[in-house]
Amino acid sequence: MSHDEPMGNFVTRDAPAYEGILQCMRCGFCLPTCPTYALTGRERSSPRGRVALARAVAENRLEFTPAVKEEAFFCLDCRACTTACPSGVHAGEIMEACRSQVHEVFPTTGLAGGLRRFILGKMVPSPELLETSMIPARLYQKLGIQWLMRHSGLLKLAPRWMEKAEGMLPPLQAPLRTQLPEIVPARGEKRGRVAFFLGCVMTLLYAEVSRQTVRVLAHQGFEVITPKQQKCCGAPHMNEGDPETARSLARHNLDLFLDLDVDAIVTDCAGCGAVLKDYEEMLEGRADHARLALFREKVRDISEFLVEVGLRTEDLRSLDLSVTYHEPCHLCHAQGISTQPRKILKAIPGVELREMKESSWCCGSAATFGLKFTEESQQILDRKLANVAATGADALVTANPGCHLQLAWGLRQAGMEQPVLHLMEVLGKALPE
Amino acid sequence: MISQTAIHHLVEKLGAKNVLFEKEDLLVYGYDSTPGVHHLPEVVVFPSSNDEVCAALEIAHREGLPIVPRGSGTGLSGGSVPAEGGMVVCLSRMNRILEIDEENLTATAQAGVVTLDLFNAVAAKGLFYPPDPGSQKISTIGGNVAEDAGGLRGLKYGVTRDYVMALSGVLADGSFIRTGGKSVKDVAGYSLRDLLVGSEGTLAIITEVTVKLIPPPKDKRTFLAYFSDIRTAGAAVSKIIAAKIIPSTMEIMDRTTINCIEDYVNIGLPREMAAMLLIEVDGHPAMVAEEAAGVQAILEEVRAAEVHIARDAEHANQLAAARRTALSALARVSPTTLLEDATVPRSCLAETFDEIERLRVKYRLNVGTFGHAGDGNLHPTVLCDERNHDEMARAHAFYNELYEKVLQLGGTVSGEHGIGLAKKEYLRRQIGPGGVAVMRRIKQAFDPQGILNPGKIFTDDEQCADVRIEEGFRVSR
Repeated sequence: MSHDEPMGNFVTRDAPAYEGILQCMRCGFCLPTCPTYALTGRERSSPRGRVALARAVAENRLEFTPAVKEEAFFCLDCRACTTACPSGVHAGEIMEACRSQVHEVFPTTGLAGGLRRFILGKMVPSPELLETSMIPARLYQKLGIQWLMRHSGLLKLAPRWMEKAEGMLPPLQAPLRTQLPEIVPARGEKRGRVAFFLGCVMTLLYAEVSRQTVRVLAHQGFEVITPKQQKCCGAPHMNEGDPETARSLARHNLDLFLDLDVDAIVTDCAGCGAVLKDYEEMLEGRADHARLALFREKVRDISEFLVEVGLRTEDLRSLDLSVTYHEPCHLCHAQGISTQPRKILKAIPGVELREMKESSWCCGSAATFGLKFTEESQQILDRKLANVAATGADALVTANPGCHLQLAWGLRQAGMEQPVLHLMEVLGKALPE
Repeated sequence: MISQTAIHHLVEKLGAKNVLFEKEDLLVYGYDSTPGVHHLPEVVVFPSSNDEVCAALEIAHREGLPIVPRGSGTGLSGGSVPAEGGMVVCLSRMNRILEIDEENLTATAQAGVVTLDLFNAVAAKGLFYPPDPGSQKISTIGGNVAEDAGGLRGLKYGVTRDYVMALSGVLADGSFIRTGGKSVKDVAGYSLRDLLVGSEGTLAIITEVTVKLIPPPKDKRTFLAYFSDIRTAGAAVSKIIAAKIIPSTMEIMDRTTINCIEDYVNIGLPREMAAMLLIEVDGHPAMVAEEAAGVQAILEEVRAAEVHIARDAEHANQLAAARRTALSALARVSPTTLLEDATVPRSCLAETFDEIERLRVKYRLNVGTFGHAGDGNLHPTVLCDERNHDEMARAHAFYNELYEKVLQLGGTVSGEHGIGLAKKEYLRRQIGPGGVAVMRRIKQAFDPQGILNPGKIFTDDEQCADVRIEEGFRVSR
């Protein structure tokens, strides 16, 4: 991100940095890795094309037009192109920065704008408000209204994204944040002390997964601190083009976690992990560099952490389970974590890992992409489901709540029987009582 | 400007999603992988059959629009840049493999099939299509034919031209042409097929390609040799060839290139070494063993600093894949990577390296050199910044002087990237005005009105217009 005046037709300070755009020499290595380019075959929906559009805007050859806005949001931000790019171009980040321009150039007004500002600016940053917001959804399920809605066909009358969003809701439990003890003691020989970063989607929708993560950490000999004052990591804001709120959340979490005396800050959400590792860049020049570096130094995805410290497997139970692994984009492309989850799966007795084709191809969830572009998202999902089906594995394993929601929904719609499990749920099943 | 009626007709013939004319679309079909050249077309069309190509050409004709064929836009001499605007005919949707003929050992594919997809499809039937340009994952077979693309295996197996058996395409007047066939021998008249290979889209729009396939090598061995000076690496290459050993691959990378690639792939390449050779011998196991021993002996004789053998096929593939990223990886260093394609007789390699080094110092430039050493085909790449006019002027002076030397040595100004927009003047120096005049007459015979990819290879008017590589995305002429 640039701190200087924005170039050309960009308007805010969060415009993409010109140097980063110039880095692209247009070799096209990104083209075969881009899910949206695979869908449209249209250069402007490829990483190379998107970066060229950003360059044209920066060089005053193009206004920040609705088409540029459309491409900025049509980008899945899956970062597959970053992995593929020998020149080190970050097309996904460039598109994120373009999104931050959108609200200046095309301000949303009225109800939609107000709602967006409320959700991103007020609701998501406040754990309490977020938790309260989920009560109606829980009641909706508990009181049988969900059953009624799904069977009455009433949902068919709603916009497609609404029907999909409703269909994606997993069975809800009370948020984990309020239940999890702030300190969970290590079991067996103690190996250290870690802080647990509990993502919003994890606590609200996948409480049981994160409960397992904490259990695994304790079983592995780590004392787990889960500070209750932690807030959203800021990923939704970066994604929606609101870097300002993201930065204020980042500052809060930075201070909170650095005050703890821990060996590592661990998360089981690939999306959170990717952004936490980005705090250093997001806050560069806005917070003490040494503190940012120290924070970056400590952040670990759970699989990365477990492989680094060495997984204790002596007392694991055998599971008799064949699995296939879908790599979350924000784990493999954004964080470069690809071998670790596989190592963990292979270390669990009785688990057989069957590799699927294109395991690191996006599932089409991509934050709100799955709801904004339901049709395109479905096509990307279908490609994934076909690869899952070809493995014949008993279960589909992944490590990110966004993928989890999308894949579970997709499997259900396709009438496929495999459950979707987070890597930590699989490991959790193998733990002794 | 293209008329609304013409757009309407195109949409009618090709379908709305196959005709693009919004500014944002035109912008991104105005470039390929060549630095510094960019020009907006007026319309981009995606035909999916020969008939649709003919229909589009007919409309272009009526409108007086220049026509520029395009595949994936990975060319390195500006071949698919619509230098005079007009209609870009993008063949990426003509991407079916039509036939793999196991009796005649040929494959027939539409022009838009990606090179690596063709390779994989024939490999699944136990056959081998050798040409492997660095961009094989992205480039199309039609583009490969139009530019006569080379690759890493050129030394032993040759380049695209050596595998083209038949071509189908559409001429400037909208008529259909088919040339060559599955017969191994064919001397019926002028070989139009050979004229079309490497014609850079100036003679016809190639829509279908039949290529020759061969049985794959049964065995291979991959060496990595490190050198503390690049001249010795050049000498090693010449000695291996002189010993009558033809490896399938003999690639060179200098220190700058090694470091850029290592920054990207992180596979333990030797950062401190002056040069590295990637050598692969393949064929029958007995021959591979013999040639491998020969290569090893020569590497020891010239005192390579270290010699390593790839652990297994996967490791060998990893090394070749890493080499393919060389050009793009060099772009990590600077915003602009000016790459050239100088090729010399192989016995002159060491001398050419000396000259590159001398000129690099003379013009105070950062240069990364890599290339197909076994073919004498080098890619000295100036790492610069197009916003720095002084540096750009020095870069051009560097190439100017280098090409003088290359021509003196009996080399060529382009081994495998083509002339396109970037090297018209150099071509004239190499083949002389008489050579250019013959080429122009051939062009006239195929395309009397000069509407197919105008401005490429040579300019239409008598004197070669000065192609100015301007900064950024701006008009190149």
